Order: sequence, then structure tokens, then C-alpha cells
Amino acid sequence: MFWRRHRNDAEFSEELRAHLELEADRLRELGFSDEEARTMAHRNVGNIMSIEECFYEAGRWMWLDHLWQDVRYASRQLRKNKAFTLVCVLTLALGIGANTAVFTLVHAVMLKSLPVSDPKTLYSVGDGENCCVIGGYQNDHSIFSYSLYQHLRDHTPEFAEMAAFQASPDTMSVRQGAVSAVAQPFVGQFVSGNYFTMFGVAAYAGRAITPADDKPGAPPVAVMSYRAGQLHHALDPAVIGSVFVIDGKPITVVGVAPPGFFGDTLREDPPDFWIPLAVEPLMRGQDSLLKSAGDHWLYIIGRLKPGARPATVESELNVGLKQWLTAQAGSQPSAEDTKAIARQRIRLTLGGAGIARMRRDAADNLKLLLVASGLVLLIACANLATMLLARRAASRVQNAVRVALGAPRRRLIYQSLTESVLLAVVGGLAGLAVAFAGTRAILLLAFHGAKYVPIEATPSLPVLGFAFLLSLMAGVAFGTLPAWTSSRADPVEALRGGNRATGAHATFPQKSLVVLQAALSLVLLCGAGLSLQNLRNLEHQRFGFETKDRLVVKVSPAFTGYGQERIAAIYRQLRERLEQIPGVRSASLSVYAPMSGDNWGGAIAFEGRPFPARQEDRDSSSWVSVSPRYFETIGERLMRGRLIDERDTPASRRVAVISETFARKYFKNENPLGGHFGLGSVKRSLDYEIVGVVQDAKWREPYEPAGPMFFLPLMQVSAQEWPDEARSNYIGAIELHAVGNLAALAPMVRKAIAEIEPNLTVIEILPFDELVSLNFNQERLIARLTSAFGVLSLLLACIGLYGVTAYSVARRTGEIGIRIALGAARGQVVAMVLRSALMLIAIGLAIGIPLELAVTHLMASQLYGVKSHDPVVLGGAVVLLAACALIAGLVPARRAAGIEPMQALRTE
Amino acid sequence: MVTREEKDRIALLQGTLDLLILRTLVFGPQHGQGIARAIQEQSEDVLLVDHGALYPALQRLETKGWISAKWGISSNNRKARFYSLTKDGRKQLAHETSQWRKLAAAIGRVLGPETMEG
Repeated sequence: MFWRRHRNDAEFSEELRAHLELEADRLRELGFSDEEARTMAHRNVGNIMSIEECFYEAGRWMWLDHLWQDVRYASRQLRKNKAFTLVCVLTLALGIGANTAVFTLVHAVMLKSLPVSDPKTLYSVGDGENCCVIGGYQNDHSIFSYSLYQHLRDHTPEFAEMAAFQASPDTMSVRQGAVSAVAQPFVGQFVSGNYFTMFGVAAYAGRAITPADDKPGAPPVAVMSYRAGQLHHALDPAVIGSVFVIDGKPITVVGVAPPGFFGDTLREDPPDFWIPLAVEPLMRGQDSLLKSAGDHWLYIIGRLKPGARPATVESELNVGLKQWLTAQAGSQPSAEDTKAIARQRIRLTLGGAGIARMRRDAADNLKLLLVASGLVLLIACANLATMLLARRAASRVQNAVRVALGAPRRRLIYQSLTESVLLAVVGGLAGLAVAFAGTRAILLLAFHGAKYVPIEATPSLPVLGFAFLLSLMAGVAFGTLPAWTSSRADPVEALRGGNRATGAHATFPQKSLVVLQAALSLVLLCGAGLSLQNLRNLEHQRFGFETKDRLVVKVSPAFTGYGQERIAAIYRQLRERLEQIPGVRSASLSVYAPMSGDNWGGAIAFEGRPFPARQEDRDSSSWVSVSPRYFETIGERLMRGRLIDERDTPASRRVAVISETFARKYFKNENPLGGHFGLGSVKRSLDYEIVGVVQDAKWREPYEPAGPMFFLPLMQVSAQEWPDEARSNYIGAIELHAVGNLAALAPMVRKAIAEIEPNLTVIEILPFDELVSLNFNQERLIARLTSAFGVLSLLLACIGLYGVTAYSVARRTGEIGIRIALGAARGQVVAMVLRSALMLIAIGLAIGIPLELAVTHLMASQLYGVKSHDPVVLGGAVVLLAACALIAGLVPARRAAGIEPMQALRTE
Repeated sequence: MVTREEKDRIALLQGTLDLLILRTLVFGPQHGQGIARAIQEQSEDVLLVDHGALYPALQRLETKGWISAKWGISSNNRKARFYSLTKDGRKQLAHETSQWRKLAAAIGRVLGPETMEG
């Protein structure tokens, strides 16, 4: 019973007293005098204190007692040395906070399963490498048409459920009944009826979509995300059953998804509305993809039945795919088709974490961040070890006295370790606070521009465990060495008056730690330098257009059912109205904005040239439809011929403006002006006449040179072609070139657009340079974080160097005093101290430079226009490190020079 | 505690003190000092009980439940803590006594007749 003893110490003492009296009584009976009797009784019993101690220790968990003692002692010590504790805790908090924040991100993006039931049995059909809408053969099929989905679903019985869903959810304009007249942009996704059943996710309120909702003719329904319900309708129960007008079509919301469910893929701005696939034709009208067997636009995730073997299922899927492709190729498939079909395949991949694109995209960068933050932690630990070593050395005399008095070495080690672990735990707790703030900052940086990211910044249980383990490990790691050295305290030293330095071996570990810090710090600084340069190169490259004084309005049109004439009129009015806004110099419309990640593309056939049968051999180009004044508005320069203008109407000759690369690639030495080409087949090769060549401008890939590109006049489509071409003429962006305060324009722009066409929803209005910079979120995140880590590591390394130098100056006070007394100049003393400090840094650099070259070599593949062995970056980092080291060394050096010989000798 | 004038006395072997305490208590409740004296007297002053070791031993036996204790008044009117044997204690005593006898006999056989010694 260690927690409640049935005898207390006082009672035991009383018993002992009684014993002494009884013994004295006996001795008196034997004839001893009173005083003799007392003395003898005492002598017979021996040391009362030690008996009492024995009593105290018996039956107790002594280690717990000792631990408590150690903890109390350690916390008293830490409270006494406030500056030391503060620096230690801050160092640790930053180290652990940075790691925890990065790990939160890694955990959410890389490790976490979807918040659905039993994610382990989910498999993704295909690896999700392709996206959006694709036609033709994919070789590695990862995106599917509805018809192919149905075929696979019906021919793979091992799947308990197989659900399909739109690969790239759309922004839709949503109005709730007649309550709010202004449509709001929401993300909507078409999903198969068994989507929620497959995930095993029940509705939070109302009901989920069922297969019955996914039948032609079923009343159109939708499930709303918890977040949308909370944000816009305060989770009003009346929302269930109410009618929303989504992209102009009335749809009944039947349920709200549970909180935390963000759909099939972790992505920024996840869907707010899930709508059955069967509703898609109703909403998209003639642009519907559901019935088109050749348009692949759905991802598939399924839940395998218990016991089903993935390898068997994969081969079944492949059989299914080939059957379907063969059926599609018709009764007389060409030799090309037969060959191509043989090459097609499907890979079955784990689907518990959803479609893996975001993870794959982010993996390299996240690894880089993990390495960088790990290095920071290593430096922080090295720093703490240095400081603890110095402290241990300071308490050497005390330890020597303890050993002399009989303290077991074990206790000394425990006590020293307790202090380190206590520091680590306090530092870890502070680190959690840093992590919480840091995660928010990282999420904001990583998903700059997103309205919502389904990643919790609050550390989850695994993350907390990770942080706790990290701080414990750090505590043990940086505490072991000092603990060991403190246990080696020599009792003789206590007697000798151990203030004198005894050999250099005591500071060797400290020195090597500083060298390590300097080396790691150099690596981090260079990494930071390279990523900063990478970001700068990306942001300040020649894009081929102007971003200054430009605004981009991203819009979502719900034009289903509108005729060609009506849309053309809307476009005309829009441009006129927008150009009337004071400050607007020009306004243009386009299907997509540059650098916003989307364009049309396809094979092209030139007049009078062969059109190869094999897909891979055909010429191809990206293209976009734009309104007149588009090039003027975004500042893309005309090289030859003319730009698209008001002359280009459905009634006039169909024209195209091509990019320089297009001209260079397909008209090597010819004059492209007047040339003809068309999209997709030989019989269309006369469709467009080239009337102009514009300067190359980057469209999608900031890392790669601009590809071939051509531009068509918006709405230059004949009436019979209109049904097929409508979708490529729905605008997604409005560009404005304006002077003055751009921010002040936004309300006027919104108002003008809402007045002209309520079904044209404004998604967002943002400066062109910001739109471009959204492409560099990851690079910016890396650059900012590695810079922060670099500065942090530099700071820590300097604190370490300062600590070691100051410590050695303190220990050598006597020696330096004698040197000065013997006539050493102050300058010489400064030089002596600085020399030893800078020597450490020099060794650190000697180790760090090859290390840096090796590390940055690994980074090189991810950099744009940056050489991995950049002498400027390396030189800069070396100079920065040396300069900081100089300052860190100069402070103690000056103190050493200021030592008064008399005072120094007196301290001996 | 062996004092200088008590050369013939033998310090107790480890573990034997418990046995002796239990044996002493067979005759009825006794306080610590009484137990020490009883052992010393019954061994005709050969065995010396270290008073410092006595109390931890009592403590140990009490924790094991072989003896129980309560405060009482000694024959010379002093307040003292009296220990008495419990049922478990009696069993333990019987067990340990037979163990000890076996051990002593065995050691005796190994050492041989007393005359062989020095």
C-alpha cells in the first residue's frame, strides 16, 4: 500500500522512543546509573535516523519517490536559471513546432485515409493520372466514360459497390429559391447513385443520394456538404427539401453530408453539392457528356467484397476494358485500333485515400519540407546539448561534492536526464502552440487562393503523439551526453577547488556540436537560397503578357438552353458595359484565362498535308476562343498580320491567330499568314485561315517553354455547328486593363455583370499577377519555409557558437588574465578568442559544403532556371554564416579582452 | 551491534531474525525491546539482536501479515507497541522451523564431528 500507509512516521518514532525507555529501564534494573542506562540504550539501538529512513523506504516505490524528487529539483533549477530555460524552451518549441506543423500537413495529405467507413477495402480503378475530360485511348486508363463505367461495373462482380464521379468538379451558380436573387458560386460534382453507399457514409441530416435518384426521369436532387449547410444556411433543418436553382435548374436538396466528409479526394475547395449523374443531361443540355461513350470524364472507386483478390480483380477489369473498347471500335475495327486496344490497360490501386493526384503532386515538396524541418530539429537538439553541456560543466563542482558524499552515479544520471526530459516536455508543449499557429500559416501559404481546405490545423491524435515522441526523443538525445559527463564527476575535484579548467576534452563534444550546427545550417541556408531564387525566376520570367494594371474576373456561365444569338448579344453587352466603367481601358472575354490551368487542345490537320492515322504522329496544339481586344487587354504583342477583332463574325471568313511557336513548328520557313488548318480531321483542314501571329505567352506550364497555341474568335461558329461548339464558346474569364485603384473596380464589375446576365456567376475577381502567382503556391511555400528554417538554423548555430565561446572565455579567465598581465595586447586576446570560434565555423563549412552540394543536387530537378551548384547562393550562405559567427564570437572575445588581470587572478 | 566486550556473541545470519521473532512471539504478545531481550536471553547471550535491524524486520513481518500489532502498557507501566503472532504467522513459523532444522542438520553433516575442527 504505497499510497496510504497504515503507520505514519510519527507513530514509528514513538515506538522507537518507547523501545529506548524500556531498554533504559532494563539497564537501570541491572544497576546502571540513569545516565549510563540512557547512553547504553541509545548505543544499542544505533543510528535512529537511519532506522527511521529504513522505515520510510520500506514498501515504497522508491523510484517514484526519486523521480518526484528529481522532477522537483529539476524544475527548481530551471526556474532559477530563467534565461537558460527560456532559450532552451524557445529553441525546442521552434524545432518541434516546425516539425509538428509540417507533419500535420504530411499526415493530412499523405497518410490519412478518407473519413469513410473501412477505407482499407476501397480500390481506385486506374491511378487517377488523367483528368477532366479526355477522348480516345489513354494507354493507362484512369478516367472513364459513363458507358465504360457501366460496363466495368456490370462485369466485375468482386466489387460490392463501384461508384463513378466527375473527375473535376465544376463551379456552379447556385440560388436558393427566390430568397437571394444573386447567384453564388459553389462547387458541384456529379456522382453515381451509389456514391454514398459505396463510401459507407450516411447523411448528417435528411438522406444521402440513392441509386433510385440516379435513374433517368427521377426528380433532380442533391446532397449538400455540411460546410455549405453551416456557412450559408446555418444548418437550418428547413434546408432539407428546399429547392435550389443550380446552374439555372431547380434541384431539391434532400440531405446534408456529415461534417468532415469532403468527397472522394482531398483537394482545396471540395464539392459543396453532390448531384446524381442522371441529372447531368438535364443540367448541361446539349453539352452533356453522360451519353457520349467516347468522352472520359469520370473516376471510379469501388469497395471490394471480403476475400476478393485485387490481382484477380485487376485482370478482370482489363478483360472488361478490352471487351468494351473492341465493341466501341465497331464490327470492322481497323488494324490501328486492334493494335491500340492491345496496349490499353487499367491498374487497380488503393483507394482508401481517394484519388491520389494531390498526394503525388505534393509528395516531393513535402519530403523536402520534412527534411528541412528535421534538420532544424537536429540543430535545435545540438544547440540544447551544447547548452546543457555548458550547464553541466558549471555544476561540476556540485556534482563532485555529491559523488564525494556518496551519491550513486545512477542518481546523478537520472537527475540530469530528468532535467533534460522536463525541458523537452515543456518545450514540446510550447512547440504544440507553435505548431498550431504554424500549421495555419502553412495551410494558408500552401493553398493560397483557396476558399476552403479540408485539412484541420488542430493537431490530431497521431500528430500529438508524433510531437510528444519527438520531444521525448529530443530530450533523451540531447540529455544523454551531458548526463553521462556529469556522472563522471571526480570527487577529488571537489576537494581541489575545481574552478580550474582541466584539459580540453571536456569541451570537445560541445565544439563538435557547434561544427555540426554550422554544417547543417549551411545546408539549410543554401536550400533556402535556391528555393528563393527558383521562386523569383518563376515569378519574374517572361510570360509574354503584362500583369500590371490587369484584372481577371473568373466567371461560371449557366447558359444551357441559350441560343447562339442570345449569348453573342450578352458578350457584346458585357464588353460595352465593362469598357464604360471609369478607369477601364479595355475589356475582353475568353474561354479560359492564361495561367489558370485549363485550355482546349487537339490534333490539327493542315491544308494540303497528310494527316497521320496514328494519334501519336499527328500535329497538335492548344487553343482558346477569345473576344476582340483580348491581346490588347492582356498585353500580348502582335508579331505579324492582324489580331482578332470585330470583323470576325459567324458570317465572315473563319480565322485563327497563331503563336510564334505554332508558326515556327508548323511553318518552318514558310509564311504562315494565309495558311489553312482545322481540328481533328482532313476534311476540316480548310476551316481556319491564319491572319496573325502573336508573341509566345505561357499558358499553363510555368516551368516549360510555351507550346504551340492558336486563338479563335469567340462565337465565330456557324449555326449548324453551334450545338457541338457551344461549350468551347462559354466564357470562363473576363480580362480588364484598367488604370487607378483596381480594388475599387470590383464592385462595379460585379454589378455590371449581374445586371447584364444573372446566370453568369462571378467566382472571383483578382489581379492578374495574383492569378499567375497562384501557380507558384508550392514553390512559395517551400521558399518561405526553407528561408524561415534557414534563418532559424543560423540563429541557433550562432547561439551555440556564442555559448561555447563565452563558456571557454569564462573558464580561461585566469589564463587570459595572466596573458594580459604578461603584456598581451587586447587585440591579441580578441584575435585569439575569435580564431578559435571561427575555426569551428571553418570546420563546419568544410563539412557543410560537400554536404550542401549533395543535398541540393537532389533538389535540382525541382528548380526552374537555377543551377543546383550556384556559386552565388553558396557564397552568400558562407558569407552570411561567417558574418553571423563573427558577431557571435566577437561578444565574448571583447569580454575576454576586457578582463582585468588583478580580478582574474583573484578568482583563482 | 557487536560491542567490544561481547566477543563471543554472534551477529545473526541474514533471514534468521524473522524466524526468531516469530518463535519468540509464540509465548504471547511482546514489544520490540522485549523481543530483542528474549532472543538474547534464550540464546544465553550468544545471539545479539541488532536493535537497528529489529524494527525494519518487525515492519516487514507486519506487512506480510504474519504478526499484528497494537499499542498497550508494558509490565513497568510504559506505553509500548505489542506484537502478536497471527494464524498465518504460526503456519510460517512451523514451515521455517522445519526448513531451518533441515538446513542446520545438513550443514552439520557437511562440517562433520566437532572434534575435527581446529
